[in-house]
Amino acid sequence: MKARRGGAVALAALALLGAAPAAQIQSILARPKILCGRFDQQKQLVGLKKPVSSNGRFCVVADKGVLWRTLQPFPNTLKITRGEIIQFSGERIALRMEARQEPAVRMINSVLFALLGGDLEPLEKIFQIDGVVQEKSWSVTLKPRDGGFGKVISAIALDGGVYVRRIVISETSGDRTEIEFSAIQTGDGAIRPDEAALF
Amino acid sequence: MNRRGLAVWLWAGVAGLLLAHNLYLWLGARLATDSDILALLPAENREPALEKAFGHMVASAQQRLIVLVGADDWNQAVGAADRYLKALASGKNLLTPDREISPRREQDWLTLFDKYRLVLMTPNDERALRDRDKQYWVDAALTKLYSPVGGIKVGAWQEDPFGLFGAWLQARAQETPVRPRDGRLFVGDGTRVYVVLPFLVRVSAFSMATQEALAPLLEGARQAARRADSRVDVIAAGIVLYAGAAAAQAKWELSTIGIGSVLGIVALIWLTFRSFKPIVLITLSVGVGCLGALSVCALVFERIHLLTLVFGASLIGGAQDYGTYFLCHRLGADGQLDSHRLLRRLLPSLTLALITTVAGYLALALTPFPGLRQMAVFSALGLIFAWLTVIFWFPALASQSESAGGGPLVRWCAASLERWPRFKASRLTLPTLVVLGLFGALAAFAFARLRVQDDVRLLQNPPKQLIAEQIQLSRLLDAPAPAQFFLVRGESAETVLRREEILKQRLDALVVEKAITGYQAVSNWVPSLETQEARRALVDERLLSGNGALAVLAKRIGADDLWVAATRERLSGLAEKLTPQEFLNAPAGVSARHLWLGPVAGGYAGIVGLRGVSTKSLPHLRQAGIGLDGVQWLDQVGAISGVLARYRNYMSWVALFSYLAVYALLYPRYRAATWRVIAPTALASIAALALLGLAGQGLQLFHVLALMLLLGVGVDYGIFLQEERSRRDPIAWLAVVLSALGTILSFGLLGLSRTPALQAFGLTMLIGTMTVCFLAPCFAGGTRS
Repeated sequence: MKARRGGAVALAALALLGAAPAAQIQSILARPKILCGRFDQQKQLVGLKKPVSSNGRFCVVADKGVLWRTLQPFPNTLKITRGEIIQFSGERIALRMEARQEPAVRMINSVLFALLGGDLEPLEKIFQIDGVVQEKSWSVTLKPRDGGFGKVISAIALDGGVYVRRIVISETSGDRTEIEFSAIQTGDGAIRPDEAALF
Repeated sequence: MNRRGLAVWLWAGVAGLLLAHNLYLWLGARLATDSDILALLPAENREPALEKAFGHMVASAQQRLIVLVGADDWNQAVGAADRYLKALASGKNLLTPDREISPRREQDWLTLFDKYRLVLMTPNDERALRDRDKQYWVDAALTKLYSPVGGIKVGAWQEDPFGLFGAWLQARAQETPVRPRDGRLFVGDGTRVYVVLPFLVRVSAFSMATQEALAPLLEGARQAARRADSRVDVIAAGIVLYAGAAAAQAKWELSTIGIGSVLGIVALIWLTFRSFKPIVLITLSVGVGCLGALSVCALVFERIHLLTLVFGASLIGGAQDYGTYFLCHRLGADGQLDSHRLLRRLLPSLTLALITTVAGYLALALTPFPGLRQMAVFSALGLIFAWLTVIFWFPALASQSESAGGGPLVRWCAASLERWPRFKASRLTLPTLVVLGLFGALAAFAFARLRVQDDVRLLQNPPKQLIAEQIQLSRLLDAPAPAQFFLVRGESAETVLRREEILKQRLDALVVEKAITGYQAVSNWVPSLETQEARRALVDERLLSGNGALAVLAKRIGADDLWVAATRERLSGLAEKLTPQEFLNAPAGVSARHLWLGPVAGGYAGIVGLRGVSTKSLPHLRQAGIGLDGVQWLDQVGAISGVLARYRNYMSWVALFSYLAVYALLYPRYRAATWRVIAPTALASIAALALLGLAGQGLQLFHVLALMLLLGVGVDYGIFLQEERSRRDPIAWLAVVLSALGTILSFGLLGLSRTPALQAFGLTMLIGTMTVCFLAPCFAGGTRS
């Protein structure tokens, strides 16, 4: 059961779009109803010389959830809503975790939605937050307080301005994941019809 | 001192000893009582392994108490749970949180499996390894690599690139819906969330002191949890709660029946004799009867069941018979007649009455139900001691002066007997024939409607609230059924695991059909060595070998041969042999220990527990175990119901043959009039059965047992009335009325019991005794050789 948290961690980290000094970052971050863009992910695995790269699209829809679509090199779609996490392999549902059975899902989502709502307090319970804010840009480092997170994650670093620009997740195993966001669009036009249909 | 005086003093000595022993038992609190409903159940000659299996399942549940504190939202639930725990803090000596299943243990339990990862996989994945191509596994690994949430992930991606171990862990986690959340245990049903609080009861769940102390403590905690928020609900379940409710109920019934009977009988005797002395005498005989029954039972049985005492309280009504019979005759006898000579005259009928009643009780002892045996022995002993008291004391203590007078009941009896209709077989009048015909027709109609009822739930009737909470808790926790499971045996641990695996393939089909929701077994955690070996070979061939999925995967992620070699070597190293013992000794094995019996006579045994069992799934489950070596389907609920049905049948025949036996016993004395002695009881039994049919009540073992006893009691009335030379003599009739009223009172009160079995017993006796009493004068008198 502990393991479930491990799986959730990467996602929770994704959700941590900024933190302390909470109030300041909160005032800088834009909170659009719909936010979509491109991500580029690089995973540096222990024992592997070259990093493993992937990219795709992501969408954050307020009050609905998050869509994470890996396009290259291996298509895969993940939908996270308040009630569940669903992974699609093509049209087929490859994995479904429901919040009413798995509190970890609820935890991920509550962190995510707390962030989207501009309420950063829940993060400070789980992470120790250090960071700097310079006018319209900021960067923070999150260190897990809780033993559960600490077993898997050693640190999460975020930086950005009006939007989050980059997330770096360092795992205790030595693996390191770097995600960069670009081509960010907001508003109803940002989300594609096929993506909107998934909600 | 003459011989008679010696007898009085001898019995006084016995009574004194009994009194002293009872004081020792009660004041010293040395009387071991039992409220465990299982103690009432048949101790059939089961094999030791079966006995151990049931014991194992029961013991794992007996000292546990599980509480769920629920609310609409998690924080509210946590707050309420904290208030609940705080309120319980004062009862640390009774109840402590069960640390073995607290979320903290989860931290270390994964480490055990590290060395064995390679062979720990779900049956689905094992099948996929056989059937799916390389590409399937490469895709699975890539999905896990690129997706931010790729199912369960333990440690780095490379530790479990194909997700086999992660999926296995997830399957293990899904054996229970309980999850750790913020350092607590969580369970939810989609609308409400609950904090799960497992407790261990520190003292015996069947000790009455425990139950008495626990009830207010838990109620206080429940109120504390709900104080701040009335939307909070608390669900509790545990054997201790059932045992407590049963004990409280038994105690209440015991005192109601006891006090009610005593008061009623004192009133009856007063109405009859208008004198205090008979009250004292009858009380003495009943008292010595009860003391004797309890003393001997305490010596013979290890513990006395509370229901024995409840049933035994009805003894008060029966044990007064002999004294009343004697005193009634004293009342009617010539003032000059010496009491010892009176006794000599009454002795044959008194003896026959005792023998028939004791025989009726001992018939209960023929059943395999330990509880019934105890009740029967208790009652028979009580009667014998009361009877002996009459024999030894009454002639000396009941002086001739008791002959004079008599109360209103005596006059009523005398007057009523005059008008009572009398049945003469030689002169059948039209009204008699009409009455007989109507009775026969009604009985035939009612018998046609008579159904049977052999549900084990007859033995107990817990408060509705307890049952409702138990059902809700079982549903939320999806807990395995405690009384229905498979026992799997084999000559070695390996054979047991192997056989469990074969059984589980059949159960998987039932899970798919939704007949059950799942199963628990040690083999879920520890595959048989044979399976471990097969999986190792499969992983080697399909994933790790030179042209396996790993090599293809490496190309896709740009890894070199060195990485492939290193990964292969690391993963291959995680394939040590896992044994049940190693698993069970580790923290991860705690929750599965009740599923492994280990070495038993003739080999090893394990249990496959089932979740989501319903009445509908039982036939499927029975079917699933058929034809598998060493696999046995055990359904304790069904087995007990089966025993109840078998003995209902068996005792019905015993009852019928008892009529023949009683007839044979009485024939030498009553000859051609013997049928007159038995007829009232036989007709009353038919009437009682007919009433059951008309009322739509199912016939059960306890009705039949009551009819057995009715034979013993009812024949007494026939004997008493048949003994009289003249029908005009109201004394025997008075004794019968008094005895019947006492029996009606005691068993009528027993009919108020909330235990369905005792209620059935009491009501049958009530109806039967009333009917016998009404019919007996109709058949009294007649030719006697």
